[in-house]
Amino acid sequence: MTFEPTSGSSEKTGSAKRRLALALTSAAVGSTMLLSGCAVANSENAEGSTAEASDTLRVVLQQEPPTLEPCESNLTSTGVIDRSTITEPLVERNPSTGELEPKLATEWSSEDDTTWTFKLREGVTFHDGSDFTAEDAAHTIERAVNSQLGCNVEGYVFGDDDLTVEVVDDTTLSVTAVGPDPILPLRLSFLEVVPSETSDTEKVREPIGTGPYKLDEWQAGQKITVSAYDGYWGEAPAFPKAEYQWRAEGTVRAAMVTSGEADIAMGLSPEDNIGDLGVPYPNNETVALRMHTDKPPFNDIRVRQAVNYAIDKEGIVASLYGGREKVAAQLVPEGIVGHNAGLEGWPFDLEQAKSLVAEAQADGVDTSAPISLIVRNAQFPKIQELGQVLQEQLKQAGLNVELKMLETSQHLQYQVRPFVEDEGAILHMTQHGNQAGDAAFTVDQYMLTDGAQSAFGTPELDAMIQEANAATGDERQSAFEEIFAYQNEEVVQFAHIMHQTGMIGKAETIDYEPNSSTGDELRLAEIKPAQ
Amino acid sequence: MLTYLRKRIVSSALPLVVVVIGVFALARMTGNPASLYLPLNATEQMREDFATRNGLDQPLLVQMADYFGGVLQLDFGTSLRTGESAAAMALRAFPATLQLALTTMILAIVLAVIVGSWAALKPNGIADRIASFVSMAAASIPDFWLAIVGIWIFAISLGWLPTSGVVGAEAWILPIATLVMRPFGALVQVVRGAMVSALSEPYIKLARSKGASQKRVVTRHALRNAAAPALTVAGDLMVGLVNGAVVVETIFGWPGIGKLMIDSILQRDFAVLQAAVLLTAIAIFVLNILIDLAYALLDPRVRPASASARRKKAPARPAAPADPTPTATAQA
Repeated sequence: MTFEPTSGSSEKTGSAKRRLALALTSAAVGSTMLLSGCAVANSENAEGSTAEASDTLRVVLQQEPPTLEPCESNLTSTGVIDRSTITEPLVERNPSTGELEPKLATEWSSEDDTTWTFKLREGVTFHDGSDFTAEDAAHTIERAVNSQLGCNVEGYVFGDDDLTVEVVDDTTLSVTAVGPDPILPLRLSFLEVVPSETSDTEKVREPIGTGPYKLDEWQAGQKITVSAYDGYWGEAPAFPKAEYQWRAEGTVRAAMVTSGEADIAMGLSPEDNIGDLGVPYPNNETVALRMHTDKPPFNDIRVRQAVNYAIDKEGIVASLYGGREKVAAQLVPEGIVGHNAGLEGWPFDLEQAKSLVAEAQADGVDTSAPISLIVRNAQFPKIQELGQVLQEQLKQAGLNVELKMLETSQHLQYQVRPFVEDEGAILHMTQHGNQAGDAAFTVDQYMLTDGAQSAFGTPELDAMIQEANAATGDERQSAFEEIFAYQNEEVVQFAHIMHQTGMIGKAETIDYEPNSSTGDELRLAEIKPAQ
Repeated sequence: MLTYLRKRIVSSALPLVVVVIGVFALARMTGNPASLYLPLNATEQMREDFATRNGLDQPLLVQMADYFGGVLQLDFGTSLRTGESAAAMALRAFPATLQLALTTMILAIVLAVIVGSWAALKPNGIADRIASFVSMAAASIPDFWLAIVGIWIFAISLGWLPTSGVVGAEAWILPIATLVMRPFGALVQVVRGAMVSALSEPYIKLARSKGASQKRVVTRHALRNAAAPALTVAGDLMVGLVNGAVVVETIFGWPGIGKLMIDSILQRDFAVLQAAVLLTAIAIFVLNILIDLAYALLDPRVRPASASARRKKAPARPAAPADPTPTATAQA
């Protein structure tokens, strides 16, 4: 840059500059005010929320939902708002007892576990005032399961198989699966019912449902408001209005409850300074390590057993998680159909681990081969510390483990088929949540030889799983129990670490007891003001 | 001036295109978004359908040509995550960031001019030392920590302010107080340096000898000459604010462009990421032109022709006088 010296500033240029400076300042201030008028600040709402605080339930979530499309309710951020609040399914699983309960269907039955008949509730209307009939229920199934819409619920709950749906009369619906499916009603509990007019070629962002609350407004980036639906078929909810906000930081969500800005904060951990207002609940999540057996040293079962012996699960739960979590011996916690109460976590025995590794090495297994321990950033509290502890404990057993902390998208490349290939031995940390309440949703994915999240299986195990899937009642329970025992004894694809607990923040003015489905489905109608 | 503007716009269009191409290509190198948007047990067929539906099965160059074809018709694509228009999402988020950045910057400049001038009156005096300490501290404290501490003290312990959110004037205080620290700290140093230098200039001595009051000397003479380097730094800081309010936006739930970009990166939401980057790049480009213009107008020694090179020379502090001692090499 060249400076061109001038002969000092005259009074004239001085005043020009003053005017310019003034103009710049006014422009800046003016544009700020203009922008604040059109974009963010909205004092009208501020006053409104204070005045209506007593009849408005305020919930703060971890993130803004990407959509409220009912067929995407399997996404936690969508389902936590939609499910059983704005929209409703035909039947609903009681998260405490595990039993299916009537919702938009009052009863259901099947002769052969293949064709199921549902009697639908009468006198139900959608938020647009139209009546709910079997046509709507049929359209919901066609749209979410049989269409090309690419709904999340399709892959998660129904896989490739289509369902045959028949409207018998206004209040009777018949659904037929391709083969015996004793848990078809449970699967259907994941479908949120929409009116038959809803497009089956395009997803909707804002749903019309039959639930106790209807969607009022979605102020993108700021909040979602709902209000009690006058024409609701069931009992009117205690709060006439509710609003959802979202904050990414756990400490901020906790602070909103402690400072009285929110009544309920989701997804907290005790480290968020929630104090006595934190309410823990079993969230059905289990943390485990999955070993890929295609490369040494995990191609030898002794090394996989050594990994199980080398992890001090009790120590991890006590020191990292303050004793809140439970040591796990299988992928599903208590309360899920198929959970094997007789299994115990592998004992921590470093000497045993070392000798198993030494034995394998003596037989020619390359136990010094590098192992990538794949862990997802911020997946749950203290996950990084957990990764470091595991790396250290496995090193002590004589394994060469390198910790890799990855973000979600990268982590998924290791979690789901097709797995990353150009890598050595893989030890993958997985957090599995079974929200359906039946072990079928776990073993199909995690233990079948070609399961989406399974790296190893055996023909025997595949046969056991097929059989268990078709079983009912006590037989079903014991068939899945056997599967979990068999994996621990004969397959050892997994080293289980712990069953987790979730935590919400709850203001003293609110009466609500969280349960295992709270994190995915916060039923606002169950929340009442404290007496 | 108009010629200068025209040249500046033309010369900046190319970097904008390069930025967008870079973001386009780099984003796609980070992996297929299908795994994030499909159920974990999605079949191969579902993956293929997803790729076809979103044009991800096409070669990169074809995708890029499609994208630029759309941009020319002001179609910036659709968000994978929300199904909304990417341009609408970026345009909605941008004012929130800009208003936060502008307000912060105005406050930072006003405070820095007061504190910096005060410190410069007596170099190495007590005021100068205090200002130096405060500004260094302000410029070094991490945003994240400051935000959390601010929430802890003012929202939880004292209950004076809301923890976060955008509703009501009081919601602005904590985010702005957090954001203002770094630009304030940096600007105090610049203003102080420029003022010390300006106050030692012969024309100030002349003004003083003519009986001008201290106030008049500072506000009418010295400050005017100290404004140019401060404006340069303020411009860069403003660019940083527009671009980097991510942490503050995330903590306080401020629906701005920084948070949108981070979310889009994590969600592999390519169209939104591209729209947000393009919008930010344009804003930074406009901002730079405005700074150049203001700079040229404020400091008559600078002509527009040379304004684009200002960054190379405009000293944050006056350069040390050339050392008259010959170097060892020269002596040899």
